[in-house]
Amino acid sequence: MSKVMIVTDSTADIPGELAEKLEIQVVPLKVHFGEEAYEDGVDLSPEEFYKKLNSESVMPSTSQPTPNQFEEVYQKLHKEHAPDIISIHLSSKLSGTFQSAYIAQQTLGESVSLEVIDSKRASYAIGVIVVEAAQMAQQGNPKEEIMARINKMLEDTNVFFMVDTLEYLQKNGRIGKASALVGSLLKIKPILSLNAEGEVYPFEKVRGNKKAVQRILAEFTKLYNAKPLHVGISHSEAEKEAREFMDTMREQFDIRQEVITNIGPVIGAHVGPGTLSIAVTPVER
Amino acid sequence: MAINHIDGEKLTQMLLEGAANLSSNSQKIDALNVFPVPDGDTGTNMNLTMSSGIKEVQEKNSSHAGSVGAHFAKGLLMGARGNSGVILSQLFRGFSKAVEKEEQLSVESLASALQNGVDTAYRAVMKPVEGTILTVAKDAAAKAQELQKEKDCIVFMEKVLEEAKASLDRTPDLLPVLKEVGVVDSGGQGLVTIYEGFLAVLKGEKITHNAGQAPSLEELVKFEHHQSAQSHMSTEDIEFGYCTEVMVKFDEEILRKNPYNEDEFRNKLDEYGDSLLVVSDEDLLKIHIHVEYPGTVINEAQQYGSLVNIKVENMREQHTSILSEEQNREPASESPSDYAVITVGLGSGVSELFKGLGVKKIIEGGQTMNPSTQDFIKAIEEVNAEKIILLPNNSNIVMAANQAADVAEVEVEVVPSKTLPQGMAAMLAFNEEHSLQENAEAMKEALQHVKTGEVTYAVRDTSINGVDIKKGDFMGISEKEIVSSGSSVSKAAKELIDALIDEESEILTIIYGEDRTEDEAHKLSDYIESKFEDIEVEIHAGHQPLYSYIISVE
Repeated sequence: MSKVMIVTDSTADIPGELAEKLEIQVVPLKVHFGEEAYEDGVDLSPEEFYKKLNSESVMPSTSQPTPNQFEEVYQKLHKEHAPDIISIHLSSKLSGTFQSAYIAQQTLGESVSLEVIDSKRASYAIGVIVVEAAQMAQQGNPKEEIMARINKMLEDTNVFFMVDTLEYLQKNGRIGKASALVGSLLKIKPILSLNAEGEVYPFEKVRGNKKAVQRILAEFTKLYNAKPLHVGISHSEAEKEAREFMDTMREQFDIRQEVITNIGPVIGAHVGPGTLSIAVTPVER
Repeated sequence: MAINHIDGEKLTQMLLEGAANLSSNSQKIDALNVFPVPDGDTGTNMNLTMSSGIKEVQEKNSSHAGSVGAHFAKGLLMGARGNSGVILSQLFRGFSKAVEKEEQLSVESLASALQNGVDTAYRAVMKPVEGTILTVAKDAAAKAQELQKEKDCIVFMEKVLEEAKASLDRTPDLLPVLKEVGVVDSGGQGLVTIYEGFLAVLKGEKITHNAGQAPSLEELVKFEHHQSAQSHMSTEDIEFGYCTEVMVKFDEEILRKNPYNEDEFRNKLDEYGDSLLVVSDEDLLKIHIHVEYPGTVINEAQQYGSLVNIKVENMREQHTSILSEEQNREPASESPSDYAVITVGLGSGVSELFKGLGVKKIIEGGQTMNPSTQDFIKAIEEVNAEKIILLPNNSNIVMAANQAADVAEVEVEVVPSKTLPQGMAAMLAFNEEHSLQENAEAMKEALQHVKTGEVTYAVRDTSINGVDIKKGDFMGISEKEIVSSGSSVSKAAKELIDALIDEESEILTIIYGEDRTEDEAHKLSDYIESKFEDIEVEIHAGHQPLYSYIISVE
């Protein structure tokens, strides 16, 4: 029996080696600095991107993959493996990526067994779901079981993130319900999250990093308590903070799988450098 | 001369001209982009999508109309960028599918192709939104169906374009955000410019593509205002209060002595405010900016010539009236905007801090000026909200707030903050999306997360806890307890700070009063940073009377 193939996009921020090992197909979005266009993670690494972000005067913009890109990936998988395909993507409230994948699905019609999913999340909050699904696929689980698990994870996965400044979210029109925080004179560290629709909203406002970390830990304790967890921390030029956060998480939770990864150029263009995002999903094994 | 058939060559020309017209209008279309995400790239995205289609057409170079359509559609699909680009590619995908076998296009085939394009695009989009490029395409296609009996492609295209334009003008009626900003839909505008290109070729006309197609200042202003409106949820958040527009006629005499450089000028103005737009040609300089002091900008502009026109609008006033209009509309029972937090404080800087945190109204008062129950009731009526939270910020004012809550006709919760820092900490816990009870609970809880220090002076000789304090001496008060005193304000403040900071402390905020200078506050900050490495210090001018320093430690 052929195995289920998992497709995602570059905003899941899955480290290249891991994606390769689990045979996850990653479709890149694009980043534009003025006239220059780059493929997310293909010809522009996170390091290069943040360097450019500091040196370029224009704000980068981003664009979704074309329906055609998805069509080609799906068709290739269909021809080479003739498997079931599950394609999991960035929140449709933040990007047209899901829309493009959906159009590809409409174009291919019934000829390809394909599920296209709006994760309603971003960065490694998509990653945890994709990686869990890909691991199930590698173990030879059938599509129905993987889909059931994905649907469960779509409910159970939570993400909190902290940005250095709200400027990037605001300029790119992705600030969602956090816009009320912009005018404050007091320096506030908002803890942001994505709501059920996949929009950015301020979970809580605190002052100071330590407080933010404590608050997030307390919330995870409330949500997951002693459950075994898959934790993914993604960061933009904040590796030290990411590692410290993971160390603290390890002390308090039963972590079965962990990933620390870079926030790639596309999400990076929307949140800016100095962002830390913590995604958690409970594991069932 | 009538045209009954369009061959591959003609169709190629039409597509080229459509693309050229779109390209020269793309900046203008960018400026209209407020939906779905106001990131100002619709024109750019559509233009790049279109270019990709054109490239394919030119490479394959066919005289068969159906093939030209198919190549074009393929190119669009490959290069589709952004939402509007994707929709555009779907429109032409359906279009070309309908005519793929036809060597020449007639009115009849054009009409059914347009309709097939619309059907394809509507199917492709998960949640079609009316008032967008989809609606414009749909209305134009519907018009095309009525014209099936027409033979002349020119007349046909004229009427289709006319309807597309009319439909574009209606988009603000269908999509509220467009009406709010005062623009038509950007993607729809893009489609209209493409159709304009089609018609021009049929009529044998040429559209002049020059810099004149750049967005007008007015259009750019609308876009800027929308972007900034997104971030200014309350009037108090407006940092730069005056929308200022200046038009200057360049004076050659003056320019010889004082040459004009647009980049330099822009950089200079950028320091005065935000939402800056500078447009200049040989004769005229036009400026739009949001600033606190419009006079400065007018003076700067006048250095290059004579003033032609000046417009200054007070945005805080405008915003307040917009808000009150919104409040006067039928009350949406669960809408989040029906919340108001009312607090008490003295000092303009203190007010600003609270407003920045989302407080709707600040009653003047404090230690020696306790507002009455009546003052609270008046404030509750003024803010005209359904759910109200009162933050008294002083233990002597809690009672009056409680009484006001009892008699008020709307739901009121008192969060008994006893100091300004407690009030601010409570505001951090406030969330408009939560219920009144949830908020009251979270805000009460937040009171405990902050420690308050105050430095004030004794109004008479006194002795507290065995410490003699002379009239005019400064006292450092930690919560309710006097921990330092003496004739030196900085010594009293330093000792107070030493007493406030413990291992948990992370941020110390100094709000200095009207009797102190910023310099003094910075010296205190230096003291703290040299003595306590891990503490981050934030300084604000509170302009409050009585208290030299109000200090919060979190």
